[in-house]
Amino acid sequence: MSAARDDSAAYAPPIGDGSQLAPTSPRGGWLERYEQLVGARTLRALEALARKLKGHRIVMVNTTKTGGGVAEILHRVVVILNELGIETSWEVMEGDEHFFGVTKKMHNALHGHTQPLTDEDREVYHERTRMEAERLALDGDLILIHDPQPASLIEHRREPGQHWVWRCHIDLSRRDEDYWDFLKPAVSRYDTAIFSHIEFVPPLTIPAVLVPPSIDPFAEKNRDMSEEEIESICDRLGLDAASPWMTQVSRYDRIKDPIGVLEAFKLVRARRPAHLVLAGGSASDDPEGAEVLAEVREKAKGVKDVTILELPPQSDIEINAIQRASTVVLQKSLREGFALTVSEALWKRRAVVASAVGGIPLQVLHERTGLLVRSIEGTAFQTIRFLDNPELRRDLGVEGHVHVRDNFLHTREVRDYLAVFARLVG
Amino acid sequence: MSEAFIFHTPSPLESPAGQVATDIQSLRDGIAACSDASLFQHVTRMPVRFPHARDVPENDFARWVGDVMQMPEVSERLAFVGSASILDFDELRGSLLGVLDRVQPKERKREAPEGALFHFLEAHSVLAPLGVEARTAAEVIEVWPWIDLGSAFYHLVEAPLQRTEEQALIPWLREHGGKSMADSAEQVVRSSRPLNILLKEVGSRWRRSMIGRRLIERAEAPELERQREARAAMARLAGRLRGRGSKS
Repeated sequence: MSAARDDSAAYAPPIGDGSQLAPTSPRGGWLERYEQLVGARTLRALEALARKLKGHRIVMVNTTKTGGGVAEILHRVVVILNELGIETSWEVMEGDEHFFGVTKKMHNALHGHTQPLTDEDREVYHERTRMEAERLALDGDLILIHDPQPASLIEHRREPGQHWVWRCHIDLSRRDEDYWDFLKPAVSRYDTAIFSHIEFVPPLTIPAVLVPPSIDPFAEKNRDMSEEEIESICDRLGLDAASPWMTQVSRYDRIKDPIGVLEAFKLVRARRPAHLVLAGGSASDDPEGAEVLAEVREKAKGVKDVTILELPPQSDIEINAIQRASTVVLQKSLREGFALTVSEALWKRRAVVASAVGGIPLQVLHERTGLLVRSIEGTAFQTIRFLDNPELRRDLGVEGHVHVRDNFLHTREVRDYLAVFARLVG
Repeated sequence: MSEAFIFHTPSPLESPAGQVATDIQSLRDGIAACSDASLFQHVTRMPVRFPHARDVPENDFARWVGDVMQMPEVSERLAFVGSASILDFDELRGSLLGVLDRVQPKERKREAPEGALFHFLEAHSVLAPLGVEARTAAEVIEVWPWIDLGSAFYHLVEAPLQRTEEQALIPWLREHGGKSMADSAEQVVRSSRPLNILLKEVGSRWRRSMIGRRLIERAEAPELERQREARAAMARLAGRLRGRGSKS
């Protein structure tokens, strides 16, 4: 356990949202838990918007019930919408290995990893979509389709009186145009498309709306933990450094720049006592990840005080503990999507040093909620500032927590979806 | 005099405005041509985007010019002209352009690094009735604790700027016997404070402004009723003090 760890979690930033002033309606469930965080007035505003959609029925559609960020979000968001009095169901599009082989290629290609799209791929995709369009219970009047895989359902099942919205969670800024041309006719039939960040929005003929993703403060990855629990998990992972930790949690991918993190750490370590923790998912089923991990291990040879962790899936509680035990959390990516790992660290009141790329500047406001950097030297310099200055860590950590509470919790994402639908139904 | 003021809560939806700035010149041209909804998003909405910040961050234009274009002086000037929250959009646009027009021509064409361009956005609010209304200025004080930050911002700042007069609270107060409340609210709004502070400040000024009137009203009430109210007030105060004591 790090001796230099902050106690900034002891600070309670003001909710300042009328919780003490206004009577609380009997809510129960998740809404009541969220009320403790965001305040009664914010919840009442959410309920007011929900009343506009009373009598409507929402159907969410994606392609998996477990695993992945979208499923995590839907598990909670669907419950919250029902608690708000809007009947909401969640349908999962099914497929065989051929279909998911095509959608995996599609996912990669839309992220920028170019792959050929064959006629057979098109046929497999369309055939499965036709079958699923008949099977799925798309019987609501407000249909929210998540990500590209089920996007073409609209071509087979749209009925009069329905409003269809496409929610694209992925970064399309480096999309393979063949795949996008393949999807575009379906996307053009939606009433609105939602993207996480302005840079992800492709040219469209339909209205586009920006809805940043959000985190679940009650999930294992983010929930509060006792000192004893943090210590016990870190001990189990063999993390027992006496000096302050700087940590980067992300998969072993070149765009996350783990080698750059290591270089920055060497600069820090030459001037201050520090320990680096690199924690990423298992690279066993990802050849490129395994290569990057091997390279990181090679470069770390002979560098003192570096711990490289290869965490198995479902290591949320371990990630939570590692972040909470860190003095400084880094996200030194060369390119990013939205980077919700930053919101997760800010939520835990951590001092964050992160690259000014993708969605990070929306979360890290320089000198307010964290420190933005553009180079290895900048990363080292700002990390040392944080290491030397507990007040700075505390102040920015508190402000970061408040910023996430106001802008990046699930209740805000629910509110945005409701606003999109409220605008459509008039 | 009898029409009620109905409070609404806004849910702003952000969308791409279609313009992109790659340098100071294109930022200037973008500001000259962008919609009011864009200025609203990038400048006026700052307090409601950071409602609990210690102080309101500089507007998006100022931040981009400072962080990306590395022009701190221009950034400071943009931050200052954007910090007056009740500026008219035309006035705001003129002030921002005035700052950018003073940048040396050779500096205006220096390009932003790749991946750090300025994308203009727009914000449009979807309104929902909050289920709270007031028929008199005094009732506004009573219901104020029920009003969320977005709603307060909407009725005090956004609605007047968007010229939706029937949703603007300050003129309504003036028409409904709350001139001093309207004046004090206007004063607080002009201060461009963080939204949670603005909300509290407005509420506490209004409550203070009603002390004199309430004293006169209560002085005319029967003695027994006043004694009963005094006992109830003391009980509430004792309850609050006990609550504080148990927390500490």
